[in-house]
Amino acid sequence: MTPARLHRVLAHLRPLLVSLRPVAETAVKALSRNRLQTGLTMIGIAVGVATVLAMMAVGAGAQRSIEQQVRAAGLNQITIKAGNWKPKQAIDGGAAAPHGDAGDSLRLPVDDLMPALPRAGAAWRRDDVVPIAFHPEDDPMEKHDHPLAWQRLGDLEAGLGAAATLSFEDAEAIRRLPGVQYVACGVHANARVHAGDRRWFTRMHGTDLELPNIKRTWTFTSGRFFTRREQDRGAQVLVLGQVAAERLFGEGVDPVGREVTLWNQPFDVVGVIGSASWVVRPAPGDDEFDAVYMPFTTTHRLLNLSKLNDITVTAASSGAVSEVARAITELLRQRHGISAAMPDDFTVSTQATSAIAGGGLAPGVAQVIAGNVRELERVTLDQLATTLERASRTMTWLLGAVAFVSLLVGGIGIMNITLLSVTERTREIGLRMAVGARGRDVMRQFLAEAVAISLAGGAAGIVLGILASAAIAATLGWATVVSFTSVFVAFGVAAAVGVFFGYYPARRAAALDPIVALRRE
Amino acid sequence: MIAVRDLTKHYHVGDHVVRALRGVTLDVAAGEFVTVVGPSGSGKSTFMHILGCLDRPTSGQYLLHGRDVSHLGADDLARVRNETIGFVFQGFNLMARTSALENVELPLLYTRQGALGAAERRSRAMRALAAVGLTDRADHHPSQLSGGQQQRVAIARALINEPALLLADEPTGNLDTETSQEVMKIFAELRATRGLTIVVITHERDIAAWGTRTIDFRDGVVVSDRVNADEPRATVPAEEPV
Ligand SMILES: Nc1ncnc2c1ncn2[C@@H]1O[C@H](COP(=O)(O)OP(=O)(O)O)[C@@H](O)[C@H]1O
Ligand SMILES: [Mg+2]
Repeated sequence: MTPARLHRVLAHLRPLLVSLRPVAETAVKALSRNRLQTGLTMIGIAVGVATVLAMMAVGAGAQRSIEQQVRAAGLNQITIKAGNWKPKQAIDGGAAAPHGDAGDSLRLPVDDLMPALPRAGAAWRRDDVVPIAFHPEDDPMEKHDHPLAWQRLGDLEAGLGAAATLSFEDAEAIRRLPGVQYVACGVHANARVHAGDRRWFTRMHGTDLELPNIKRTWTFTSGRFFTRREQDRGAQVLVLGQVAAERLFGEGVDPVGREVTLWNQPFDVVGVIGSASWVVRPAPGDDEFDAVYMPFTTTHRLLNLSKLNDITVTAASSGAVSEVARAITELLRQRHGISAAMPDDFTVSTQATSAIAGGGLAPGVAQVIAGNVRELERVTLDQLATTLERASRTMTWLLGAVAFVSLLVGGIGIMNITLLSVTERTREIGLRMAVGARGRDVMRQFLAEAVAISLAGGAAGIVLGILASAAIAATLGWATVVSFTSVFVAFGVAAAVGVFFGYYPARRAAALDPIVALRRE
Repeated sequence: MIAVRDLTKHYHVGDHVVRALRGVTLDVAAGEFVTVVGPSGSGKSTFMHILGCLDRPTSGQYLLHGRDVSHLGADDLARVRNETIGFVFQGFNLMARTSALENVELPLLYTRQGALGAAERRSRAMRALAAVGLTDRADHHPSQLSGGQQQRVAIARALINEPALLLADEPTGNLDTETSQEVMKIFAELRATRGLTIVVITHERDIAAWGTRTIDFRDGVVVSDRVNADEPRATVPAEEPV
């Protein structure tokens, strides 16, 4: 707004403000007549407004801790895996399925992938898994410019993530979608890492420098993640998970700056990853901390690969996860030229992993969720959101009822005191009418009085409400958030109560006959 | 200035009708000082309420400045009261715990242009107080003023919007004789200096003598309407009105 325009607007507002001032002055003067009643009424309003504020603070606090928890638990994560396979369990009844998620937690005694040789068991295992989509990589006659999935990863159980359908270009396209926050490419394998005479067989993740942004529970116990330059160059740098670091170098030894060997290649250790969350503890055999990380470009270069196993994406807002997932699905179908009749050649999944019952979340909410939601890790984000909403709605209703009752009591107080004021000042009303006050002027006067009480009570209520929110946080352990908006709303509620309950008395005053009013003793 | 034709006013009390006014026809020219006399219950106040646009007649016509105001709506009547008419009441009707100055300012809150600025209100109220000789009491509250002073504050209030018509219903009813004369003298001076049209109701003969014309009411009709013989006395009041 330009200064000139602002000036014009103010010039328009001036008469209104000027005309409101005497009204406000009269209102304050009138209220000082019945101090006790005014004071008692204000208490009612104050309690009501304080409860409204506390209600919103608790609601917002729950919302925020849910949001944080959702982020920490990676609920805003979307994983795109190459390939689209029927789960193995569906075929052999799950008996021979030690791992629900093929390609993730496999641990096979493959020492080295180089040179990649076809293995004996591979054929029958592959037959076991029936693709619902025909993919070029499954065509035995097809010539590939890279090792086949099972050769590449050493996975006998070539399944989800093993098909070579995802590319770095796909990842870049996903990065440009709206609502997408971070994108990390992934190529995974198992590898034996040597550090001097120690060896440790672990999980190797060829990944992206954005991964630490996605893994919110990570902390660097030492060093750093690899840089963009290292990723662009395909540098031979390695970040160790805490478990791998301990196994290779022993506890309490900082491996940063040391050299390790992998695939007979030297790697510089640049960082060690630990867990910042007490919910997630590094343990041998897990996928995150019993693991080593290198730029996926390095993996591509050394293993002569060009495709990705998976792409991990986070949505900027946890509420938009399904939306972003849908957008990714559409984008990839289009990029891969998949016709409408054909199924995806990739799998998009959103995560709803546990840790809800853990720290951070208000105990009540956590309890409600834990009690109501079985198999937490399998529920979708939508279901989770619904449950959370139900929980916070319950407490909102509870506080809402308290707020309603106090505001009703306060409001009736306002009505009472304004009626009293109208009765006491009937002659004055008659006089004002005689000198030219119209019904609406009288009405405005008494509404102003009612609103003055409610706003004064409301101001006290806001202070009270902020204290109450702090007390709730301190004693009950609920997270509470008092925002500018909620203060504004609380004030608005106070004003609305004043207008609502002041309306009837003010109308009565406005409807008075000036002669009758003047004659009243 | 004022033209009243066949004015009647009926009140319904229970199932019978009180005829407060039963056909009043009269004219008042601009600058006249009319006193209205008559026994209690004769309809003087009722008549004045209609003249003051506080009430509407049951039938008949009331032309103020040639404009028929007998059927205006409540808001229009309020506007007429604010701009054209000043009231002085028997009981003063000042707001307690409010200074003389603020009492005088009251009509300025309801002007057509909206409320004036505080400084403008103040200077106008001071001028009105000066007209009744009370400049030095501007910050006094009604309880700190004598009856005569209170009535002068009320007159200042009636004057502040520079009305054409000043109406007073028994303005001296609560005052002693001496103070009553002072108040009537103010009315006479206002008429002389400003050309105000003034209608004062009274039941005291010596007060009525201040008018240039006296109208006598009885049972809701005018029974006598005469120009006072010694008119100069009203404009230049003597020591002892008869
Ligand atoms: N609001 C009213 N309701 C019923 N009767 C009324 C009302 N106002 C005045 N009257 C009656 O009208 C008559 C004239 O009253 P009023 O004009 O006050 O007389 P005055 O002022 O001459 O004493 C009286 O009989 C009075 O009782
Ligand atoms: Mg009377």
